[in-house]
Amino acid sequence: METKVKSKALQQFQEAAETLVNPELKKWMEQGGKVMALFCSCGPEEIITAAGMVPFRARGTGSTGTELADAYMASIICSFTRHSLNMGLRGDYDFIEGAVWLNTCDHCRRIYDNWKRKVDTPFVHIMSLPKKTEKPQVAWYRDELVILKEAVEKHLGITITDDKLREAIKTHNETRRLLKQLYELRKRDNPPITGADALAVVVASTAMPRERFNEMLKELLQDLKEVEGIKDYRARLMITGGILDDPNYIKVIEDQGGLVVTDMLCFGTRIFWNDVDEKIGDPLQALAQYYIADRYSCPRMFQDYPRRAALVRDMIRDFKVDAIIGERLLFCDIWTVEHYQLGKEFRPEGIPYMQLDREYILGGIGQMKTRVQAFLETLGR
Amino acid sequence: MTTETEKDKQMRRLAKFIEERDSYEAMAKAFGQSPSGTDKLYAPLTEAYVEQHNAVIRAVENGDPFVASYYGCQPEIYVAMDLPWYTFLTPVFTNAMSPTLPEEIDATESLFGKDFCTAFRVAGYWVEKDLAPLPTAIIAMLHPCDASLAAHQLMQTNEIWRHVPMFGCDPPYWNDERSLDYYANETRLMISFLEEHTGRKLDMDRLREVIEESNKMFKLWIEYNELRRAVPCPHGYGVGLQAFGVAMNILVGDPKGTQWFTDLVEDAEMLVREGTGKVENERVRIFWFDVVSLGLSLDLFPWLEQEYGAVVVMDMFGYTPYTLIDTTSEETMLKGLGKRALCDAPMMRQARGVADNWIGDIRQVVTDYKIDCVVWPGHMGHKDGSANIGMMREVCRELGVPFMNIGMDNFDERYTTTAEIKEMFSRFFDSMGLAKAG
Ligand code: SF4
Ligand code: SF4
Repeated sequence: METKVKSKALQQFQEAAETLVNPELKKWMEQGGKVMALFCSCGPEEIITAAGMVPFRARGTGSTGTELADAYMASIICSFTRHSLNMGLRGDYDFIEGAVWLNTCDHCRRIYDNWKRKVDTPFVHIMSLPKKTEKPQVAWYRDELVILKEAVEKHLGITITDDKLREAIKTHNETRRLLKQLYELRKRDNPPITGADALAVVVASTAMPRERFNEMLKELLQDLKEVEGIKDYRARLMITGGILDDPNYIKVIEDQGGLVVTDMLCFGTRIFWNDVDEKIGDPLQALAQYYIADRYSCPRMFQDYPRRAALVRDMIRDFKVDAIIGERLLFCDIWTVEHYQLGKEFRPEGIPYMQLDREYILGGIGQMKTRVQAFLETLGR
Repeated sequence: MTTETEKDKQMRRLAKFIEERDSYEAMAKAFGQSPSGTDKLYAPLTEAYVEQHNAVIRAVENGDPFVASYYGCQPEIYVAMDLPWYTFLTPVFTNAMSPTLPEEIDATESLFGKDFCTAFRVAGYWVEKDLAPLPTAIIAMLHPCDASLAAHQLMQTNEIWRHVPMFGCDPPYWNDERSLDYYANETRLMISFLEEHTGRKLDMDRLREVIEESNKMFKLWIEYNELRRAVPCPHGYGVGLQAFGVAMNILVGDPKGTQWFTDLVEDAEMLVREGTGKVENERVRIFWFDVVSLGLSLDLFPWLEQEYGAVVVMDMFGYTPYTLIDTTSEETMLKGLGKRALCDAPMMRQARGVADNWIGDIRQVVTDYKIDCVVWPGHMGHKDGSANIGMMREVCRELGVPFMNIGMDNFDERYTTTAEIKEMFSRFFDSMGLAKAG
């Protein structure tokens, strides 16, 4: 299954998803630009942009092993965590000026502790991310944003003004709106882009200067306008899960005939399905409101399951989803429960749900193909 | 065909709970009949467990309110509100020695990944299969780990449990004043929630009484831990867990708990005075940096003592760097309770925040208790700790004590068998030249 378009922008996005440092990011750094990594999508990209840096969502792309990290973390730690720490220890992340973690999950939050001690990154910071989504949590997170902002200001010797923050919010909102437009096209009976390529676009959106990304995505949207959509699929699938950043994983599914038309992923709808409210006067308040309460949460947010399930339900309807694949990295506690719950909720509604456990680096393709094939067969396709 | 009434359902859900109560009752009787030495301390403890169970059973029978919660969620408040409560994790802890536990663990695989913490996997399974007493309200524990939070999310989609009102205090990641103020505010919301859903009111004077009693217990606990610094150590592996059970679970703010601690201190004092240790020839002093697994208590720990003179001098749950709670005002009490729940309570203290808390405890305990080796059992659910093994090893190296990471399941003997663990210890002791048998 392929996106039937010749698009330079798409090629660049594909390349960005396959490498850690893509050419656009390289160009930015060659011009003296700085990069700040974020280890969770609940981290405020806008503050980094407002500080004049590129926010880069950390990945383990290109990692081939975890031998260095294994001295620090036991094998029951999720492989994203071990691969990304390993890359830090190897020096693959030497290109960043700093990194920001949140107490995301039991695995990822410990990358910070190890990194701080073992990797020589000029700026490291961890934020306390609430586990609920109500008013006191928004207020708490706003304070955390102030703490981060001040730490970045001190580190760089700059002032991040409210105007800069507002500008950054606008830019990031534009990224979100453009990504949403891309997803709108996937609602068609014959979507013009594969799920693998759509994932590459979202990954690229977290790895290059946003203005540049926005221009490129506009080009791609133009290129996709007249394209002949994909017809040769057996079923329309949705993917749910956490940190899936490898388009090749989706490609394996699509090569079996299941076209991925939408998702609920960290590199997917959860990071752009709604916007930061530009009407809120205080930009930090607007960001806190967005990251804690408005954005679609992941299962580490307590008592917010109904909203996530509602998103999945809307997606099923709007994208005409036939079935759902729940991807999970082994050892991830929060996602095993979420997948169980989503499966229990949607199967009786006639939406088959399959949980696929995996390692961060794509492997075991044969077995995965067999499972996907069998799953598609149960759909009668 | 007769339909099951609500009352019948509640009684059915109590079945396992009653079984558990009965096994405690049998234990209490046995201990009561042959009280000798430190063992005599088991009798009041098991009796208290029976009474805690009975209070819940009575509440079910009479239709009175009761709560499902945890030691890390400020149980002093439930006690002050006269609300019976039980730990939602009961199934794995108290069933640890039950022959049917492995089957139940296997059955959970149809629901969750088997890498999901067994404690919450089984608890979640009990929710899904309607096997646990349905409380009036749930106070969820959102710290210190993902599994705990996830297991409570599960309740939101369970046909039966989702109708039970649930609240969880949001745990900040820091230990500073701002965090404690924030948590005190969450605690106020929790109190309002409990008042609304149980019909009970919290009387601040009663809370003060409970906290003051509990402060007495903690003072004695600190005193007791001082005595454990003695060489040889007067008591062995199980006592720290018992102290934790009394102070934070079953006799929270209860004068019976204070009495228990008084007896404990007396016993330890006597032994220290006589120079009597848990084992005759103490050769290795272990810091067991996790909960002492009940499953291993029957076999591994006695073996370590007999074979190697190796005594668990301190463990994560027995370690109490408690600050007493200032009872001057509502404000100081709520902040103090928050600090206890977040920064003092075992496992919460180490696992909730940054790894510095973790490393700091190793430093402190190794120095204070003249520890010869640190063991990280590495329960498969304790992922945040297992992501610290490099740091633990390094701090141990710095302190000049060997470190061992086991990698086990505290509740499932099959994950790493006791025989395998023994083998690991033998190799570890040999290679470290720690203890020659005999
Ligand atoms: S699953 Fe949640 S906590 Fe994990 S990286 Fe994604 S947004 Fe962050
Ligand atoms: S996959 Fe799960 S365990 Fe791994 S970093 Fe994401 S949320 Fe954490």
